[in-house]
Formats: sequence, C-alpha cells, structure tokens
Amino acid sequence: MGEVWLIPAIPAAAFVALLLFGKYLPRRGDWLAIGAIAASFVIFFPVLIDLLDNLDQPDFTGGGRAWEWVSLDAFNIQLGFHVDQLTIVMLAVVSFVALMVQVYSVAYMRGDPRYGWYFAMMSFFAAAMLTLVLADNLLLLYVAWEGVGFGSYILIGFWHERRSAAEAAKKAFITTRIGDVGLLIGIILLWREAGTFDISEIFEFAEGGGYSAEYLTLAVLLLFAGAVGKSAQFPLHVWLPDAMEGPTPVSALIHAATMVVAGIYLVARMLPLFELADPVALSVVTAIGLTTVMMSVTMGLTATDIKRVIAYSTLNSLGLMMVALGSGSVTAAMLYLFAHAFFKALLFLSAGSIIHATERQDLTELGGLSSKMPVTSVVFGIGALSMAGIFPLAGFWAKDEILNVSGDNQNWVVYVFMMLSVFITALYMTRLFVRTFTGRPRNHHAQEHAHDAEPMMTVPLLLLAALTLVGGFVAFGSVGEALGFPGGFGEFVFLEEAEAFHFPWDVAILSTLIAIGGIAAGVYFWSGEAAPARRAAQSLRPVYRTLANNYYLDDAYQWVINHVVLAGGAVIGWFDRNVVNDTAVDGSAGLGVFAGFGMKFLETGKLPNYALAISLGVIVISIVFLVVSV
Amino acid sequence: MIPIENFLVLSAILFSLGMYGVLARRSAILIIMSVELMLQAVSINFIAFAVFLYPDQFRGLIFAIFVITIAAAEVGLALAIVLRLFRNRATANVDEVDILKW
Repeated sequence: MGEVWLIPAIPAAAFVALLLFGKYLPRRGDWLAIGAIAASFVIFFPVLIDLLDNLDQPDFTGGGRAWEWVSLDAFNIQLGFHVDQLTIVMLAVVSFVALMVQVYSVAYMRGDPRYGWYFAMMSFFAAAMLTLVLADNLLLLYVAWEGVGFGSYILIGFWHERRSAAEAAKKAFITTRIGDVGLLIGIILLWREAGTFDISEIFEFAEGGGYSAEYLTLAVLLLFAGAVGKSAQFPLHVWLPDAMEGPTPVSALIHAATMVVAGIYLVARMLPLFELADPVALSVVTAIGLTTVMMSVTMGLTATDIKRVIAYSTLNSLGLMMVALGSGSVTAAMLYLFAHAFFKALLFLSAGSIIHATERQDLTELGGLSSKMPVTSVVFGIGALSMAGIFPLAGFWAKDEILNVSGDNQNWVVYVFMMLSVFITALYMTRLFVRTFTGRPRNHHAQEHAHDAEPMMTVPLLLLAALTLVGGFVAFGSVGEALGFPGGFGEFVFLEEAEAFHFPWDVAILSTLIAIGGIAAGVYFWSGEAAPARRAAQSLRPVYRTLANNYYLDDAYQWVINHVVLAGGAVIGWFDRNVVNDTAVDGSAGLGVFAGFGMKFLETGKLPNYALAISLGVIVISIVFLVVSV
Repeated sequence: MIPIENFLVLSAILFSLGMYGVLARRSAILIIMSVELMLQAVSINFIAFAVFLYPDQFRGLIFAIFVITIAAAEVGLALAIVLRLFRNRATANVDEVDILKW
C-alpha cells in the first residue's frame, strides 16, 4: 500500500478546493470536507491491513514514498511518510474523531455566517494533524506541528467578533509557541550531530552512541518543551481552558482528541531517545505530568463553566499520559490516548448539545436536564464514568494500565498521587453530571425548549458512546486476535518488547473503590442544593479562592508580561523609535535633505560666479600641487 | 635668440588679461573675446616651448594650429548661443541671465 500519502492529501485538497470555490458549492461545501475526511478514514483500513501483514518485517515503513525536498552537496532533506503501530493508533483516532466531529458540526454550526470557512479550516486541521502523525522526519513533523497550531488558532478564534475568543486564540498561539521554540531548537540539536532529520536514522545514530549523554538529555528536554506547550502541561497549560472559547466541536476535535495529544505522540515517538538520555529526562516528564494532573483535578472542582470543567479533565488525562510515558510505557500512554479520544470527544460533543439546546454553559444556570435531554444525559454519563475510571468503560482499562505501570516502577510518591487524582477526578466528574442533569433547573427560562438534538448530532454521540463502552477491551489479547491483531493492545503498540495484558486485581479493585468513593462524595456534596459543597467552600475559603483563580497562575503570567515582557519591550521600543528610526534612518535622510537644500543655493545660474569658482579652484589646486611636489 | 622667459612672461600677461576679462566683464561678447585671449596665451606657450626644446621637430607647433582651429569652432558655437540669448532676452549681459539657478 503505497498510497499512505493520500490520507493527509485528500483533506488538504479539500481545504484548497473549499478555500477557492467554497462559496459556489451547494451547502457551502460541507459535504466536500466530510467526504474528504471519510475518504481518509476509509484509506486507513488498507494501510492497517498492510501493516498487519508486515508486522514481522522490522524495516517496513508502510510503503510511504519519499520526496527529495532540498538537495545540496552535503545537505539533503527527504520528506516521507512512515507507518508503524504508533502511527496506526493515531491515524485511527484522528480520522475517526474528525469524521464524527465534522458530521456533528453540520447541525451545530448551521446558520453560522462563516459556515464554509469553518469546514475549510477543519479540513486544513485534519490534513496537518494526519501529516504530523505520518511524518517520518522531524522537519516535516515540525511543519505539520505548526500547521495544527495555526489551525487551532483560527478555530479557537472562530467567533473573533467576541473579544474573549480573539484573546483566547492569541493566548493559545503564543503559549504553545513558547514550547515550539524549544522543539525547534531540540530538532536542530539532534540534526547538528546526526546530520539527518529522519527519525529512524536519528535513533540508529543515538544507539550507536553518536550523542553524548548530556547533549542528548538537553535535546530531548527541548523536544519535551514542545510537547509541554502543545499538550498543555504545567506550566504552559493555561491556554487550554481559555481555548474553550472556540465552537464546541472544535474543542472536541482539537482540544481533546487530536492536537493536544500531539505532544504525547511526539514524546512516545521519541521515547527511545528519552531512554538513552540521562534518567533525569524521564523523571522530568513524570514530574511535569503529575503536577499537571494534580493542578487540573483540583481546578476542575471549582470551575463553573461546563466546557472548562471538561477542559480541566483533558489536562488531567494528558498529565496521566505524560506520567505513563515518564514511566517508559508507550503502551499505557497510547491505550489511554486511544480511549481518551473517544470519551473526551463524547463529553465535549454532549456538552455541545447542552449548549446548543439551552444556550447556557454555566453550571449555575443548568440543572435538571436529564428529563429534557435523556439521550444526552445517558451518553454524557457514560463519558463521565469512563473519565472517572469505572468498570467496564474504556477509561477504566486505560487508567489501570497507567496505574499498573507506575506501580511496577515502585515509585510510591507517584502512585499515591495517582490514586488521589483518581478520587478527585471521580469527584469533579460527578459534580459536573449532578449539577447539569439532576436536581431542579436553576434557570427555567433557558430550559423551556431544551430537548435532545437532531440525529445529525446524536448519531456521532451514540457511536462515540458505543466505542467508549467497548473500546477498552482492545487491551485483551483475545479481543485483539479476533480483530486480526497479533494480540491485545500491549502486543501491538510497544517500545521494545510486546507486553501481554496483565490485570492485577488489587490495583483494579483499589482504584475502582476510590473512584466509587469519589462519586459517592460528589453525590453527597453537590446533589440537590449542594449545601455541603457550599459549606466546604465557606470553611476552606482561601483554598477555594486559590482554585477558582487557577492557582493565580494566570495573574502571575500577566504580571510577568506586564512588568517584564512589556517593560523590556518598552525599552526596546524606545531604542527603536529614538535611535534606530529617528536618529539613524530619519537622521541620515534628513542629512541628505539638509545638504541638498543648503547646497542648492550655490547654484546661482550666473556665469561670472561659475567662472570665478573655476578660476579659484584651479589656483588652489595649483598651489596645493606646488606645495606637495616641492 | 630671444630667451624663453620673454615668451613666458608675454603668455602669462595675455592669460591674466584674458582671465580678468572673463571674470570682470559682463558682456557675453567680451567674455568670448577674453577666452580667445587665454587660448592664444596657451598657444604662445606651446610654440615657445616647441621651438626652445625641439627646434627641429614639428609636433609642438601642431598643437598651436589645433588650438586655433578649436577656438574658431568654439567661437562659432558661442556666438550662436549669444545670438539666441539676445533674441530671447534682448540682452547679452550675463548677470541678467540666471535661468539655470536653483
């Protein structure tokens, strides 16, 4: 199957077509965007079968062809595509979720003045994301990486008439750019020694001891900085909650299922380098992941915007994946990524249904929706239980895999914090569900006409809910074999050696009990009038305020921007205006003007003056000549 | 034989007179005449040195003839310009002609 390149090429072509002719197409071309991503999803299957047929061949690359991009004497850049198990998982997630989200968007975005532009940008994003996961070299990966960042920027700020949306788009772009600079430097560092951007060649070079340990550690930490920005890890996580200003399907696709896991994918892809580097590199990954988990779960307890709560749960999930990667397990991280894509897209899209029906997204104005929107409440409940890690949903298997890995590593600090996060996750997901769907409506006006959305929106929800129900079973060896895989997830996606699915009952029972405890506590705190929660917030006022203000990180960053960045910018701006512009540029121009204007009065036009000047000139030159020559 | 200094002094006097004329006179015709005077001073120099240094050769004298020829052509041109000037401005006073000034 040499047609791998078609997978990103078709949405890219759709983007170009929509950009040029979208206005003239019937229905503004939404069918073209959906058809393109559906075609990519269909092409994915022959690629998968091809890979399964060739699993025993170590240098199989999926037949992706390579293009010569830059060809100089000693500097060649080949662009190509590469298919392996990691890529396949990402392709499945990205193409399927993108398809679901675009179908859902048809109904959600109906009547929007920029309907066609929305689908064009969705196609652009899909093309960039698919290129990112297929790239066989870091340069192409970086280009696609920036492409998805740009797509995210446009789509967060899709309703840019609203100032907060424009600000959120800017914040997301600039914050991720900070990490991207690290990524670019890391790529250049890897290239400088190895002389190639090709990922597998870099691995060979590193395994041959081409990099010194410190050099490699620095390089992978810089790569990780890129992942921290894109995957919204502490301390660059601040953009993701704000990114909820975008349309909800965008949040489902970009800020839950695909773009934010690009950082996870990057670390998973480059994990052999992390393992070769100093152990501190993986410790940093674990520490950052765990910090993100603990910050996000606590912030999720106080946020009142339904989408922001889900955004915090996304941070939570991304942190868990980073912890798994920091423990050196690609299997656990990718299994979680796989499961997370479905249930988080499900959560976002159900939240979108609620927002669509009530035009409210604040928990203080919702409540009691389960009777009005039964389908939505059921699928939302499935998503929330999966996030909380309840048997037998996808999130349960994935999270237990991560708990196993951190338990196997005998790192009890991590383990204890992970268990704590399980409790708080269950707590705030319960809060979200209880405050949205049960109790009495807090705003009757908004809910008068609330009802389940039309089939165009509920069918994707049901499909995603079904996958959330059964998706976790891919971890079992027999399920994988029945589907034609060599075994369970762990025998398909792994770093060095396949690991069969193992299921330590103690971890599973402990985590389930903790999660059920979290749910029970959530029901106690927030059901009805939520009096216990109010009392808790009263008695723990400083804690509550800290959480509600996102640990004051946004304020701290704003302070740094105001007092360091802008103050430094003011100094540079002063230098630019006064020295560079006024003195150097305008000054030299002014000198020319002054000289020309002043000198022109020497041109009197009168013959005797010229004659006199010539004569005097000759006399002076003669005298000089005499003096010098004597 | 007349010593060369005499020729040189004569040439210098003629040149200075011509220069004075060019600088001091206001009439275009007189300026042209003064220029002629300067040119002839140079010619005298050429002939004097030619005879003095290479009496049996001819090439210094050629220059004098060359200068006279050029001067004749130049006077023709200059008089034509002055004629046009007089037609347009009704004056040949160079002080009153400054259309090329800033």
